[in-house]
Amino acid sequence: LDHKSFPRPLDGDVEPSSFAEMYPMNCHSRYLRLTTSAIPNSQSLASRWHLPLGAVVCPLAETPEGEEVPLIDFGSTGIIRCRRCRTYVNPYVTFTDSGRKWRCNICSMLNDVPGEYFSHLDATGRRMDMDQRPELTKGSVEIIAPTEYMVRPPMPPIYFFLIDVSISATKSGMLEVVAQTIKSCLDNLPGYPRTQIGFITYDSTLHFYNMKSSLSQPQMMVVSDLDDIFVPLPDDLLVNLSESRTVVEAFLDSLPLMFQDNVNVESAFGPALRAAFMVMNQLGGKLLIFQNSLPSLGAGRLKLRGDDPRVYGTDKEYALRVAEDPFYKQMAADCTKFQIGINVYAFSDKYTDIASLGTLAKYTGGQVYYYPGFQSSVHGDKLRHELARDLTRETAWEAVMRIRCGKGIRFSSYHGNFMLRSTDLLALPAVDCDKAYAMQLSLEETLLTSQTVYFQVALLYTASCGERRIRVHTSVAPVVTDLGEMYRQADTGSIVSLYARLAIEKSLSAKLDDARNAIQQKIVKALKEYRNLHAVQHRLGSRLIYPESLKFLPLYGLAITKSTPLLGGPADTSLDERCAAGFTMMALPVKKLLKLLYPNLFRVDEWLLKPSTDHDDFKDVLRRLPLAAESLDSRGLYVYDDGFRLVLWFGRMLSPDIAKNLLGGDFAAELSRVTFQEQENGMSKKLMRLVKKLRESDPSYHPMCFLVRQGEQPREGFLLLRN
Amino acid sequence: MAETANTDLEGIDGVRMTWNVWPRSKVEASKCVIPLAACISPIRRHSDIPTLPYAPLRCRTCSAALNAYAQVDFTAKLWICPFCYQRNHFPPHYHVISETNLPGELYPQYTTVEYTLPPPVAGQFDPRNGEVPSQAVFVFVLDTCMIEEELDFAKSALKQAIGLLPENALVGFVSFGTQAHAHELGFSEMSKVFVFKGDKEISKDQILDQLGLGGSSRRYTKGAQNGVPSSGLNRFLLPASECEFTLNSLLDELQSDQWPVQPGHRSQRCTGVALSVAAGLLGACLPGTGARIVALIGGPCTEGPGTIVSKDLSDPVRSHKDLDKDAAPYYKKAVKFYDSIAKQLVTQGHVLDLFASALDQVGVAEMKVAVERTGGLVVLSESFGHSVFKDSFKRVFEDGDQALGLCFNGTLEICCSQDIKIQGAIGPCSSLEKKGASVADTVIGEGNTSAWRLCGLDKTTCLTVFFDISSSGSNTPGAANPQFYLQFLTSYQNPEGQTLLRVTTVCRQWIDSAVSSEELVQGFDQETAAVVVARLASLKMESEEGFDATRWLDRNLIRLCSKFGDYRKDDPASFTLNPYFSLFPQFIFNLRRSQFVQVFNNSPDETAYFCMLLNRENISNATVMIQPSLTTYSFNSPAEPALLDVASIAADRILLLDAYFSVVVFHGMTIAQWRNMGYHHQPEHQAFAELLQAPQEDSQMIVRERFPVPRLVVCDQHGSQARFLLAKLNPSATYNNANEMSTGSDVIFTDDVSLQVFFEHLQKLVVQS
Ligand SMILES: [Zn+2]
Ligand SMILES: [Zn+2]
Repeated sequence: LDHKSFPRPLDGDVEPSSFAEMYPMNCHSRYLRLTTSAIPNSQSLASRWHLPLGAVVCPLAETPEGEEVPLIDFGSTGIIRCRRCRTYVNPYVTFTDSGRKWRCNICSMLNDVPGEYFSHLDATGRRMDMDQRPELTKGSVEIIAPTEYMVRPPMPPIYFFLIDVSISATKSGMLEVVAQTIKSCLDNLPGYPRTQIGFITYDSTLHFYNMKSSLSQPQMMVVSDLDDIFVPLPDDLLVNLSESRTVVEAFLDSLPLMFQDNVNVESAFGPALRAAFMVMNQLGGKLLIFQNSLPSLGAGRLKLRGDDPRVYGTDKEYALRVAEDPFYKQMAADCTKFQIGINVYAFSDKYTDIASLGTLAKYTGGQVYYYPGFQSSVHGDKLRHELARDLTRETAWEAVMRIRCGKGIRFSSYHGNFMLRSTDLLALPAVDCDKAYAMQLSLEETLLTSQTVYFQVALLYTASCGERRIRVHTSVAPVVTDLGEMYRQADTGSIVSLYARLAIEKSLSAKLDDARNAIQQKIVKALKEYRNLHAVQHRLGSRLIYPESLKFLPLYGLAITKSTPLLGGPADTSLDERCAAGFTMMALPVKKLLKLLYPNLFRVDEWLLKPSTDHDDFKDVLRRLPLAAESLDSRGLYVYDDGFRLVLWFGRMLSPDIAKNLLGGDFAAELSRVTFQEQENGMSKKLMRLVKKLRESDPSYHPMCFLVRQGEQPREGFLLLRN
Repeated sequence: MAETANTDLEGIDGVRMTWNVWPRSKVEASKCVIPLAACISPIRRHSDIPTLPYAPLRCRTCSAALNAYAQVDFTAKLWICPFCYQRNHFPPHYHVISETNLPGELYPQYTTVEYTLPPPVAGQFDPRNGEVPSQAVFVFVLDTCMIEEELDFAKSALKQAIGLLPENALVGFVSFGTQAHAHELGFSEMSKVFVFKGDKEISKDQILDQLGLGGSSRRYTKGAQNGVPSSGLNRFLLPASECEFTLNSLLDELQSDQWPVQPGHRSQRCTGVALSVAAGLLGACLPGTGARIVALIGGPCTEGPGTIVSKDLSDPVRSHKDLDKDAAPYYKKAVKFYDSIAKQLVTQGHVLDLFASALDQVGVAEMKVAVERTGGLVVLSESFGHSVFKDSFKRVFEDGDQALGLCFNGTLEICCSQDIKIQGAIGPCSSLEKKGASVADTVIGEGNTSAWRLCGLDKTTCLTVFFDISSSGSNTPGAANPQFYLQFLTSYQNPEGQTLLRVTTVCRQWIDSAVSSEELVQGFDQETAAVVVARLASLKMESEEGFDATRWLDRNLIRLCSKFGDYRKDDPASFTLNPYFSLFPQFIFNLRRSQFVQVFNNSPDETAYFCMLLNRENISNATVMIQPSLTTYSFNSPAEPALLDVASIAADRILLLDAYFSVVVFHGMTIAQWRNMGYHHQPEHQAFAELLQAPQEDSQMIVRERFPVPRLVVCDQHGSQARFLLAKLNPSATYNNANEMSTGSDVIFTDDVSLQVFFEHLQKLVVQS
C-alpha cells in the first residue's frame, strides 16, 4: 500500500458546497450539516446507504465579522408561523392568493397572511417587500419572541460557583487561579447590569456567602448538617453583580487567603451540589463546579471504583464509564428542569470518577473541563483562558431546541449533551457557540413523493440582554432516488461527528472493542456497498474505492477508534481522561472534532531560521503535513496541534542552536521537566507568536504546550499520534 | 420596707429563720403551722466577715468545717465537732493555737468566715497558656426577629455591655431567627457564622461536630494554624479586647431575620436551638468554668424545640386559664426541653440569663426552669428601649458600687445536727442529689440532697431551705445539748476568678414546745414566715394540680392564729395576737391580693418572672414584693410611712409606693395643679419645689439599688397611670361604701374585701370551736 497515495485531510474540514449554490437561501453549514445532502426517497434506498442519515447542528455557531444573524421584530403582528406544524416563516414558504395566503414549506398548509404582514406580490409571485424581509431571504434569522413565548419573565444571566476548598484545591493553586480569573472576568460577564452571581465553597462542610450589597464584606455561613441540607438565607446568596460588586470582589480577594491553611481532605460534594441547586432553582443559570477530589461525604459520595484492567473485555467493563450512583443523573435531571446548566471543572491527580461527575454536565447541556494533576504553575494559564472563555462567551439561557422536517421523515435520535424534554425537544439550560448536537433521521414512509425536504432548527432562548429570542435556521435538501448521488453528496465531517458520538455512546453500554468494531464495520459496509455500485461499472478489481466526498472517511473512522474515549485498553489512558474526553467530544462542533481526530502537524525549524519581519507570515509555516512517522525529520522541529494541546517535537538531530534559543539553559535537559517560556531572543519570540496565533485561531480551548524530544519514551507515544 | 430598712436582721450570717427556736419532735414541728425554714444569703457582703487565706479544717466524720462552736482542747490539740461530736486532731500547722492565739474561724463572733482556696485542679485548661482561665465568660444570644427599632436598641445595649467588660473576659456570640448562627469571632478574613436549622432538635454531640469541636476530628480540621487544630477558644470565644471591634462591626451589619413571615403569622424564632447551640459551645470550650449565656429575647419561640406557641397569630400565647384547663398544647413539651437545657447547663456549671423584652409573652414560664436552676438573672420588660431593660442590662456589666458582683460555679453544702432533716430548697439552685443521713424523705423544691449547685450567684442571692425533725425521736439530743447547729458551706468563684469558701455556722435552741410555747413564740420571725409561705404557695401553685392558694393560705393563717392567738372560744371580740405575730395576718392579706396568688391578672410569663424574683431576693425585698411600702410627703411633716390604704391618698400629699417591680410617685390633685402652674419654679415657693423633689430623689435611690431596675411611674391623682398605685392599696373605701368617705380621697373600684373585713372574718373563724 502506498502511504503517499493515501488520502489525508491536510486541508482540514472541507464543507460540501455543491448545494450551497443550488440553495443559496439555506442556512450556513456552520449551523446545520446533513450527513448527506441528498435525502433518499425510500426506506429501501436509505437502508442501502449504510452510513448514518442525520445532521449535526450548532445553533449558535460563531459568525465571522459582518455576517451576524439578522434580528427580526415582528412587533404587534406576532410571529408568522404555520398554523398546523408551527414552522416559522422562512425563505421557502410561498405566497399565493395575491399575497393574502402563504403555504408552509414543511406541511403544505395554506395559512392566512396577517393584515400587518401583507404585501403585494410581483409578477413572479415574489413579495414586493422581499428586500426588507430577511426572514424571507436568509436561512438564519433571529426573531424577538413576545410574551407568549415566556412562562416567566426572561431570566438574567446567572453564574453560580461551587468551589472545592479542601487541601488539594488550595495546595494545587486552583483556588487562587479560579478566584483571580473570576474577578478578572467580572466586567465581561454577559448581561450587565442584570447579571447575578453567587458562591458556595465546601470541604467537609458547606460555606454559603451572604453578598448583600449593603454589607461591607461578605458573610460566610457554614452549614455542616450534611444529611439535612438547608439554605441559610432566603436571599443574598445569589446577588446582582453590579449592585454587590464590591462585596463580590472582596470575597474573591479573600477566598484563596481564607483557606490557605485548610488541611481538610474531605469533599461534601453531593450536599454542596444540592445546596447550590436550592439556591439556584428559583431562576436557574449556569453552575460552575470546581472539584479537586473524589466526593467523600454525604449524598453522592463516590468510591474508588478503580480502573481494574481485569474488567476490560468483560460485560462489566462499560459500567466504569457511567455514573454508578443514580444521584448524579437525578440531580442533572432536576437541574435541567429548573434551567440550571452545569460545567464541571475537575483537577485531581487521583481518580475522581469523572464518569459520575460528568453526568451532571452531560444532561444539563454543559461540558467537562479536566486538568489532571492540576498545578497552577503548569496549568494555570490553560485554566485561566478556558474559564474566562466559559464566563465571557455569549450564552443563551433557558433554551429549548427543536428541529422540524418535512412530511415523511423524522428525527429519531439525538446525540450530545442535553436532556430530552419530550420526544423532540432538547432542553438546554445554557448553550453557547461551542456546543453542537447530532441527530439521526429516519424515513417514516416507504416512499417520499416530494422533490425536496425542509429542515428547520428553532432555538428558543433568553439572550443575556434579557430578550427572549428564537433563532431559526432553515435548510432544504433534494430527495433523490439514486444511491450514488447520496454518496456523492455525503458530508464526511458530519458523518464523522455523528459516528464519534454513536461510538462514545456505545462505549457506555458495551466493551470498547465492540464500540470500535461497530464503527469499522459500518464504514466497511458502506464502502462495500459503494464498491458494488461501481465495481460493475468500472471493474476496478480489488482496489479500494470511495467517492470523492468520503475519501477521508476511513482515516477518520480509524482516528475515532484511536481517540481517547475509545482508545486501546486500560493501559493506554486513565479512566478519568477517557471519560472526560468522551464528554468533551460529545459536544464538539464538526471542525473542532475533525481537528482533534486528525491534528495539524507543521515543521517550523526552517521558518524559525528565516529572519523575522514585523508581520510574521504564518502562511508559509502553517502547511499541514501528513501525520505519519515519515513526516518527521530528525533534524526538524515540529508543532503538533489538535486543538487541545500543542506538542513541540524536537528532532534528535535538531540544531542545538535552535534548541538553545528556544529553551534557554534547559535545552539539554529532559524535556518533561522543562517549562516552555519565552526567551530573550527573536527566534523564541517568533515561535511564541506562532503559538499565540494557533491558540487564537480557536479560543474555545487553550492548548497547553508540551515539549518532547524524539525517542523520549513513553511520553512521545502518549503525546504524539498513534495514526 | 420602712420598718426594716435600716436594721440588719440578717447579721453577719445572712440567715433568717421562720422559727429561731425549734420544737424537739416532728409532731410538735407540724403544729407550728409555719414550716421550719432558713432563708440564707450565702454570699451576702458584710464588712465583719474575715477572709482566711487557707482551707478550713473539716471533721473527718461529717466533714463539717471547724467553727466557733467547736469545743477545743488546747492541750490535747484536738477539737470536738458540734455536729457529730467526733474528736478531730489538729494538723501540725495548728499546733501553735491557744486560748490567746486563735485562728479566725474560732473567734466566737466570726460565725461566718470566708476561706480563699487555691484554684480547682479540674476544669478546662486554656491551651494558649496552660492555665485555668479565670476570666469571666459571656456568650451573648441575640434574637433577630424584631422590628428594626427594637433590634437597634438591643444591639446598642450589647455594644455598651461589651465595652464595659474587662479586657480579658471571653466573649461569644450567637444570633438567631429562623435559624441559629454561631459566630466564629476568631475568623479574620470575613464575618463567619455556623448555621443551624431552627426546626430541628439537635443533640449536643451534633452541635459540637458541626462546629468542628467534636471528638471526631476527621470531620473538621479547618482553621488550623500551622497544623495545630484550633480549639473553640480562639475560634468562638475571644477576649473582649480582641473581638470588640469585630463584634461591633458585626452588630452594625446584623439585620433582622431575613426569612419572610407569612401575613397573619409570627416570626419563625428558634430560641430553643439557639440556646442549645450556646450551651453546646460553652460545654465544648469551658466545661466546669463559670460562664454565662446572656440571652436577649424579643418574642416567643415558634420554631423547633422549645416552641411555646404556633406561628399562626390567631392562636394566642397560652394563658393561666389555658394552663389550668390543660389547653396549652406546647407547654409541657417546651418545659421538658428547657429542663434538658437546664440539666446540661448545671452539669457544665453555666448560667442562663434571660432578658425578655416584648409586648406579648416570650415563654419565660417555660424557660424559667433553665434560668432558675442555673441561678441566672431574669429581666422582663416591654421593650429593649425601656429603662427596665436598658438600665438593668447595663448594671450586669458595670463595675463599682452598683456592680451585681456576679459569681460563678457555686456549691452549697449543709451540715446539720442529728435529727434534723433537709427537705429541699427553693431558689436559684439545683439539687446535686447528694444523699445522706440528713436528707429527708419528703421533698420541697430542689430536694433529695444536702448539696446544691449554684451555677450563678451574687451578693443578693437568697435560698430558702426547708427542714424537718426526725420522726424517730429515739434520743433526746437536747438533754445533752440544748443547742442545734446548721452549717452552710458555699464555695464559689468570684468575678475575679478567685475560688472562695464561705462557712456560716448558726446555733439555735431546741425547745420542748409541748411544755411551753412562749420561747417558741419569741423565736417567730413573721417577715421571714410570710416570705416562706409565699414561696411555698407559689411552688405549690406551680407543681400541684388544682391547688387553691387562697384557701390554703386562709387555712394556715387560721390554724396559726388558733394556736398562737389569745381568745375565748366563740368570742371573736376576745381575739388578740402577740406582737411577734401581729403583722402576719396583714402580710397574708396582701399576699392573697398579690400577683403571686391572683395570677389570673397576669400572664404566665409575668407570674414566672415574679416568682423567680420572689424566690431569689432577700427577706426585706421579698416582703416588699408581697406587701408594698407606702411613704407620704406633705408640707406639714417629714416623709413618713403611710398605711397601705386608699385612705392615705390626699389632694395635698405626694405618695411614694414601692411595690418592688414598680415604684410609683403619686401626686395628689392639688399638688399636681400647683406643679402644672409651675409654682415650683417660683422662688417664693421653694418649699413646694423641695416637696416635689423629695419623693423623686427617694424613688431614684430605690431604682439605683435594685436589680432588675423597677418600672418608675410618676403620675397624678385621677390620671390614667394612677392605677399602678390604686391596685396595691387596701380597698378600705370601695364603691360599696363610698358614701362614708371624706372628700378629697379616692374610691377603689373593686370587689376585694378590705383588710378590716378580712380581719373580722379571721377572728370569727379562729375562735370557732
Ligand atoms: Zn406547516
Ligand atoms: Zn462532725
